[in-house]
Amino acid sequence: MFTTFRHQWLALHKSWRCLLQTNPALRWPLVTLYWLPTGIVFSKYFYSLRSVKGMSMQPTLNPDISQWRDVVLLDHYSTRVKGLYRRGDVVTVWSPMEPGVLLIKRIIALGGDKVKTLPPYPDTEITVPEGHAWVEGDEPFRSDDSNKFGPVPLALLDSRLLLIVWPFARIGFVPHPSEASVKSPRGGPAWRQEKAETERHQWRTSRVTVGPNS
Amino acid sequence: MSSFIRRLAENTRNDFVSFLAKSPRLKTQIIALKAFHVINFACACHLFSEYVGFVRFVDGPSMIPTMSQTGELVIENNLTHRLRPNSLARGDLVTLVSPLDPQRLICKRLMGLPGDIICVDPTGQQAPSSEHVVVPKGHVWIMGDNAAASRDSRMYGPVSMSLIRGRIYARIWPWREITIFRNPITYLD
Repeated sequence: MFTTFRHQWLALHKSWRCLLQTNPALRWPLVTLYWLPTGIVFSKYFYSLRSVKGMSMQPTLNPDISQWRDVVLLDHYSTRVKGLYRRGDVVTVWSPMEPGVLLIKRIIALGGDKVKTLPPYPDTEITVPEGHAWVEGDEPFRSDDSNKFGPVPLALLDSRLLLIVWPFARIGFVPHPSEASVKSPRGGPAWRQEKAETERHQWRTSRVTVGPNS
Repeated sequence: MSSFIRRLAENTRNDFVSFLAKSPRLKTQIIALKAFHVINFACACHLFSEYVGFVRFVDGPSMIPTMSQTGELVIENNLTHRLRPNSLARGDLVTLVSPLDPQRLICKRLMGLPGDIICVDPTGQQAPSSEHVVVPKGHVWIMGDNAAASRDSRMYGPVSMSLIRGRIYARIWPWREITIFRNPITYLD
């Protein structure tokens, strides 16, 4: 039994070698195909690159001055493997309304927190249930977010935004909004941008009452 | 059988001896390459069980009497609902990630599709039995077969279809109770 298995396996191996030697053009496609599972698992559970479409995260992503769509590096490891969720992080979310659509939003509140909602939502204030998150776009008027579909289960959070890779002018890590501070000389465009950023952060945190168990 | 084991041992030993004869540098290379192959194979198995389906262990009191509390092995079909999302039907057994805890998988019966009007709790225990809701777009209503011991949509409302992993196709263990789960729903006109 064993010898037949071994012979068959060796024969298979030999014919595979023979195939690659006779058609060298097949080598790279087949080798890529063979290693594809590792690649898919890496981009699913570790890191992946994606381009961002739409205006809901303006001005953090895809600002009006940009000619290109932003390309970002996403960190799946901290959300999907370690289960790390922080208020203020930019995350990608599987849309609860349309299966298969990936949205990019900011976590405003986590389970147990009280949030003051924005217009399309029926109640003015709600408590986010355990195991859920309240996510919103940075541009509230152009965004389909929790104000439309309510709190999202944490299982739908797919990854965290780590850094912007393209366009070249804005390459770099995306800082957590609590670390952002106004450093540039007063009055310039950079100062106005930083000032607006911190004000948005203050406005967002002012609407959230952090719950007792976090 | 004994000759099979003897040959296996012999071959393993021969491979090992020829491996030992190689230089340390080549040894590391061989081991690293083997490790990558093993990792790749594990990734492929994981992806298969995630997107196509595999055997899975289910237990807990919420699906009595369809499934036992002490646990059983079932075959999960994760492929069909991905290829044809419309194939989800009322009465299917679905597995999904718990909306309360992202680390937990749960198995429930699908009761309502988007647009259905559902009585929240006919037993009147968790909500008045006159309360009705419309299942929103992209959501489904799920319930355990054992209403008394199940945390389901009666408690946390309709759940998103994005949380659904797959459908339970059949039970394969215990051997005496091998079943292919058929959809039990009949519609009254």
